[in-house]
Amino acid sequence: MSFTLFKTTARANWVTGVIILLVMVMYMAIIISMYDFEINEMIELLPEGLANAMGYSEVFTGLTGFIASYYYCFLIIMFPMIYCIIVANALVAKYVDRGSMAYLLSTPNTRLKIITTQAVYMLVSVTVIFGVIAAIGIGMSEAMFPGELDIKGFLLLNLGALCVFYSISGISFLSSCIFNETKYSLALGGGIPVLFFVINMLSNVNPDYEWIVNFSLFALYRPADIINREPFTVLAMIILVLIAAILYGSAIAVFNRRNLPV
Amino acid sequence: MSIIIIKNLTKVYSNGKGVFDLSFEVNEGEAFGYLGPNAAGKTTTIRVMLGFLNADKGSCSIGGLDYRKQAAIIQKNLGYIPGEVSFFDDMTGMSFLYFMAAMRGLKDRSRIESLISRLELDASGKIRRMSKGMKQKLAIVTAFMHDPDVYLMDEPTIGLDPLMRNRFIELILEEKSRGKTIFMSSHSFDEIERTCDRAGIIREGKLVAVENINSLKAARRKVISVTVATDEDVRKLKESGLEIESVSGNHVDVIVRDNFDSFIAGLGKCRVRGLGIKAQGLEQVFLKYYGK
Repeated sequence: MSFTLFKTTARANWVTGVIILLVMVMYMAIIISMYDFEINEMIELLPEGLANAMGYSEVFTGLTGFIASYYYCFLIIMFPMIYCIIVANALVAKYVDRGSMAYLLSTPNTRLKIITTQAVYMLVSVTVIFGVIAAIGIGMSEAMFPGELDIKGFLLLNLGALCVFYSISGISFLSSCIFNETKYSLALGGGIPVLFFVINMLSNVNPDYEWIVNFSLFALYRPADIINREPFTVLAMIILVLIAAILYGSAIAVFNRRNLPV
Repeated sequence: MSIIIIKNLTKVYSNGKGVFDLSFEVNEGEAFGYLGPNAAGKTTTIRVMLGFLNADKGSCSIGGLDYRKQAAIIQKNLGYIPGEVSFFDDMTGMSFLYFMAAMRGLKDRSRIESLISRLELDASGKIRRMSKGMKQKLAIVTAFMHDPDVYLMDEPTIGLDPLMRNRFIELILEEKSRGKTIFMSSHSFDEIERTCDRAGIIREGKLVAVENINSLKAARRKVISVTVATDEDVRKLKESGLEIESVSGNHVDVIVRDNFDSFIAGLGKCRVRGLGIKAQGLEQVFLKYYGK
């Protein structure tokens, strides 16, 4: 872990994080403020298939359930996914593709140290995003509807989502470490998460297709189960963290061994 | 003592190109030129030496350290100029230099300042907007800033104007006089000739010769275009025993190796109206090594 590189990486990538965060905070504000409106009537105005695809079919009770169904089924997956795809690609593959990785490697730092720093940045930045979202969500809920939010359940929703994105970012990061060119890095590192996302949406549309969700990593994230404290959700989080560890571990190992045409 | 030792080094790409069974050594305090036309394998060799690429076969060490396993330790004492210069475009030149210094744990910035003024580098602007020559100067400062013992340079003078090229050569000679080991690739013999003691000649990934500079100078083939006054002069030149490459009208292209005396003597018999050296690629200069 090189602190100098970490700072430089942060300087090059913080804007992406802030933009994604702003969009997420905006949606959070909109959704919480809609709580006392008759949102169900609004959803009924949407075509049924669309509402289902976005995971709005199960409407939970209470503020926490409300946020869980309207924010944590769809928005919380889409925006951090975009963030992970863009940033993971920028952290490694972009430097290799452009050739500027040569400069990092021509300093007395091992490949291990350089790639670990980039991996740490990815994980830390994702953690910060979910931390900020959780804090702002609690703040907004308490400001608008004091005492209504099940804070522990809400924190678990965010923790679960964080675990999902440790894994998803791991896919993009591994892909970024494998390929010399950003187009391939983006194709795989973006393609797989997007595929998971589409599968997740398809499985919501029609109960006949529900089984295909098992081919998506997002199957391990069920907001309804989390706020109902189903025991499976703890196991799911552990599995997600293990998957993340394997993905990041492989990414670092691959980068350490491979040929770098820079 | 050999600082750089390369033994039976082979690295083949999937398209069949690469470098094959290279073996050579560079001694401490020596300047070694690595000559070859484009795509001969110069950059591949250097990338393996730096540990960016894994060799398929063979070994490479710098200062007794393994090119791959101890790459980070080697880098402490190594200055590298890449062939294709690509920086962190969004940084200014200055912040890039300070970033690289910090990555090296280099606190003393006085050498950076003196290099900047010697090369007349304007490092205040964004790298993205710099000219090619300015970027090359930035690469040179980056390679020299920590005062390393070994320099690895991949076509270091590309993009520099003649004045800066000379200043860079002065810099190299200065480092050499301070006992530094220098390895530089080039596709131009003139550059190598002014700085290096020995040179390796690479052709299609194979090392065809490692010679000292003086014997390479002797093997070098120069073509001098002579314009003479009359057909009679052309005839005299033909009969003078000089090697003639071609004749068109009153222009005679004469091949000269190290026989400048007889060339001058031959010219002495004619009325010479013009004289010039014909620019040639490395393949023509060293037909001996590159002849099919």
